[in-house]
Amino acid sequence: MAVAASNSRTSYILDKLQSLSGIVPIGAFLAEHIWSNSYALVSPAKYNDVSSELQQVPWRIFVETAVLWLPLLFHSLYGFYIWWKGKSNITAHPWMSNWMYTLQRWTGLIAFVFIAWHLYTQRYEGHGVTSYADVQQFLTNPWNLTFYIIGLLAASFHLGNGVWNFACKWGIAVSVRSQRAFGLLGAAVGVSFALAGIAIVIGLHYGAFPLGGYVTGGGQ
Amino acid sequence: MADKTFIVKIKRQQRPDEAVRWEEFELRWRPHMNVIICLRDIAERPFTREGKESSAVSYEANCLEEVCGACAMVINGKPRQACTALVDDLEKPIRLEPLTKFPLIRDLQVDRSKMFDDLKRTKCWIPIDGTYDIGPGPRMAPEKQEEAYPLSRCITCGNCLEICPKVNADDQFVGAAIVSQVRLFNMHPTGAMHSAARLDALMGPGGIEDCDNAQNCVKICPKGIPLTESLASVNGQVLRHAIKSFFTAPKTIGSAAPEG
Ligand code: HEM
Ligand code: SF4
Ligand code: FES
Repeated sequence: MAVAASNSRTSYILDKLQSLSGIVPIGAFLAEHIWSNSYALVSPAKYNDVSSELQQVPWRIFVETAVLWLPLLFHSLYGFYIWWKGKSNITAHPWMSNWMYTLQRWTGLIAFVFIAWHLYTQRYEGHGVTSYADVQQFLTNPWNLTFYIIGLLAASFHLGNGVWNFACKWGIAVSVRSQRAFGLLGAAVGVSFALAGIAIVIGLHYGAFPLGGYVTGGGQ
Repeated sequence: MADKTFIVKIKRQQRPDEAVRWEEFELRWRPHMNVIICLRDIAERPFTREGKESSAVSYEANCLEEVCGACAMVINGKPRQACTALVDDLEKPIRLEPLTKFPLIRDLQVDRSKMFDDLKRTKCWIPIDGTYDIGPGPRMAPEKQEEAYPLSRCITCGNCLEICPKVNADDQFVGAAIVSQVRLFNMHPTGAMHSAARLDALMGPGGIEDCDNAQNCVKICPKGIPLTESLASVNGQVLRHAIKSFFTAPKTIGSAAPEG
């Protein structure tokens, strides 16, 4: 015990940071990302405005590193370490919460692969400046579209289930009833993020603007 | 009339380093048998189904009424108490295996000392002994007693550790039982005086942060203890304690205020 005492806080803090980083900043970023990309369902012009706004954030590389890349890298790498430390027994005990535990890990892996590819294609190949036309062009390819849908489903599930996990692990939802309530909240988050995300990529694939009604039809 | 019989398959190992062997025993059915009776029958007549002479199976049992915790084993794939596993309720052949998360001693007998060591390490008792009479402790409201009672039913069987993905050789998570006992003793008005020490002991490798919420423990606990509430409650207590001890310095010398 005395031996462990010196490094004990470190491991506690790292675990807590992994858990927290899933909600803020990563979960919050996912919300922002889906929000700003929803402009793809409004109009190309609006979408390009919003993206160029984001692409011109001052101190962009520093802001992104601090708010996104480092937390995401830490959450993922430490997440893999947590995954490795656990030994799943889902085949012997296929309970719902045990499935959630297992799926939390696999969806994390899928999200990781997706994000890496997403960054490579949109950021590296696009040199950090992509427009509606570029993204639409990219998503006309059915394979690209499929992988986007898989990535969005994985990330949405992971965040939704993460909300529930977070509430339990930070002592927010203690009673069984409140844990169930947070389970429902997580499900709502997961389903809405997945639906919004899929609507965006399908909208881009077909070049459709279902939310553009008030802009174009509104007397302009 | 021929006796009704059934088969019990047992995973056996003379020593931890010896190769595993499965043995099958054919036992005579009687009403109200439990798994302990099966093991006693085998001890009386240690011949396998094929008629080969074997030996009595090593296992632990004591109370025979699910209060001592000793007889935990894996029965038909689920960790549970052998004394309350009724033969008539079990699918046949009945498969018996030792718990896998504790060091094996022999056959179905394992060494559950890890749990007792962890109970000591986390100070799961109420210190009342001293060099002089410290007088009566504070009274507990009946509602508090009712909240504490279910937690006090833990029999340290270890089933909740066996079922937990985070208790294994790579992750020495203390397990739900210990966390729940910390909650119990922190709830007690006298026990609360040592809550900081208990919460400190649950921070760090193997501590509360290793719980990843698979929530298997609560489904397997033979005593129906609300383990997921205990885990969430203690998670919050440790967090508040960590924040408080990082940011604040002692302000008063008074009775130790309950943490969390
Ligand atoms: C990229 C690879 C990723 C991996 C390998 C990964 C892995 C994990 C793992 C193993 C957990 C469970 C931790 C635990 O139970 O203590 C977890 C939790 C979480 N992750 Fe991820 N994750 C990844 C990406 C993401 C992404 C992209 C998001 C954002 C949507 C995210 C949000 C969360 C949240 C909210 C939690 C819950 C935190 C908690 O358990 O308290 N993760 N992640
Ligand atoms: S909490 Fe339940 S399963 Fe765990 S040791 Fe106690 S009685 Fe056994
Ligand atoms: S013998 Fe005591 S719990 Fe089974």
